[in-house]
Amino acid sequence: MSKKKIATVWLGGCSGCHMSLLDIDERILDVAKLADIVKCPIVDGKELPEVDIVLVEGSVTSDEHLREILHIRKQAKALVALGDCAVTSNITGMRNYFDLKEVFDTAYVNAVSNDKEGSVPDHPELLKLRDKVVPLQEVVKVDFVIPGCPPDADTIFYVLFEFLNDRIPNLSEVKKLRYG
Amino acid sequence: MPKISVTIDDKKLDVDVGKTILEVCKENGIEILTMCHLKGLTDVGACRLCLVEIEGVNKLLSACTTKIAANMIIRTKTEKIKRYQRITSELFFAERNHVCSVCVANGKCDLQKLGYKTEMNHIRYPYLFPECNVDTSHPWYVLDHNRCIMCTRCVRACGEVEGAHNWNVMNRGYQVRIISDFDTPWGESVTCTSCGKCVHACPTGAIWPKAIVQGQLEKKPEIIGELVEKRKMNL
Repeated sequence: MSKKKIATVWLGGCSGCHMSLLDIDERILDVAKLADIVKCPIVDGKELPEVDIVLVEGSVTSDEHLREILHIRKQAKALVALGDCAVTSNITGMRNYFDLKEVFDTAYVNAVSNDKEGSVPDHPELLKLRDKVVPLQEVVKVDFVIPGCPPDADTIFYVLFEFLNDRIPNLSEVKKLRYG
Repeated sequence: MPKISVTIDDKKLDVDVGKTILEVCKENGIEILTMCHLKGLTDVGACRLCLVEIEGVNKLLSACTTKIAANMIIRTKTEKIKRYQRITSELFFAERNHVCSVCVANGKCDLQKLGYKTEMNHIRYPYLFPECNVDTSHPWYVLDHNRCIMCTRCVRACGEVEGAHNWNVMNRGYQVRIISDFDTPWGESVTCTSCGKCVHACPTGAIWPKAIVQGQLEKKPEIIGELVEKRKMNL
């Protein structure tokens, strides 16, 4: 059996899910026996190659995230939404109750830490925030979800290990379903 | 008391007349999901989780408000019911802003537990993201509309057990809200006795005491039923 290719991606999230992924500790060696990790947030910015499994942390908050997730969907055989932000939009979605302008003004113009008058950064290289934050399944087909903020390392390892051994994981059966 | 025979989940039972399907199921160890039911309070059938199938009735009926009748054939765990229960729990989450990770009730919440029981792993409906107020005007307690599921357990605990009737319900549909007195800040209420029964009756993080931090919320909803029982005693 040839080795599978896996990748992890960090969209609109706090990277806590990746921290939790790292908490699988030495079990990463079991993963490495079965798969090559071809891309993760700490490697250089090449586009995602074709992979068997991709774990996506975070929600879709900007035009860049949208472009990225559409590309990921084309490249990945199995797309796994990792963590509450990817599954429910969670904390990143808390700005959805407000107008985008109000959000920007709160952060940059009226911020209490401003020494003098603030202004909203507007460089063409910067990503453009979307009006509303959406979870992954609103823009692409998601094959599996791991809710949790963050999900347990045990849960992440369980899902990864099942997929790598060509089995479909079941979170509710093993009582690993959790939010928050 | 006269007995009648019914069949619940293919089990033949002889039960007392005058009871609800939910009461009969509880007495016989048949698990039924509930949110708005609380022992000691009048049942209102608000949450629609305890729906059961009754042979000959072409719609699902709530077990908490339907009285048991002779020869009823009731099913509580069909695929249809399970599907509806999952839809209901998803709609709870989609209707208001239930952000578990920053909620004071995280890990101690009946709504979370309901999600696990109905195997809800994501929500298939668009979130409404309504703008909800948080009323912190009461010296000891907080009312957070973001986490409210409109089970009205607080309304009934306040009206029926405490007798203060501080809480009530305003508006309809997705604009429905719990209100204190005539929609005035809770801290200014002239009817609230600050007894805390609503705090314990609330199944989520919608009403909670200020003196706690996340993960330490301890609610004892069973005290409502115990109080009601104690009052019936002739001491």
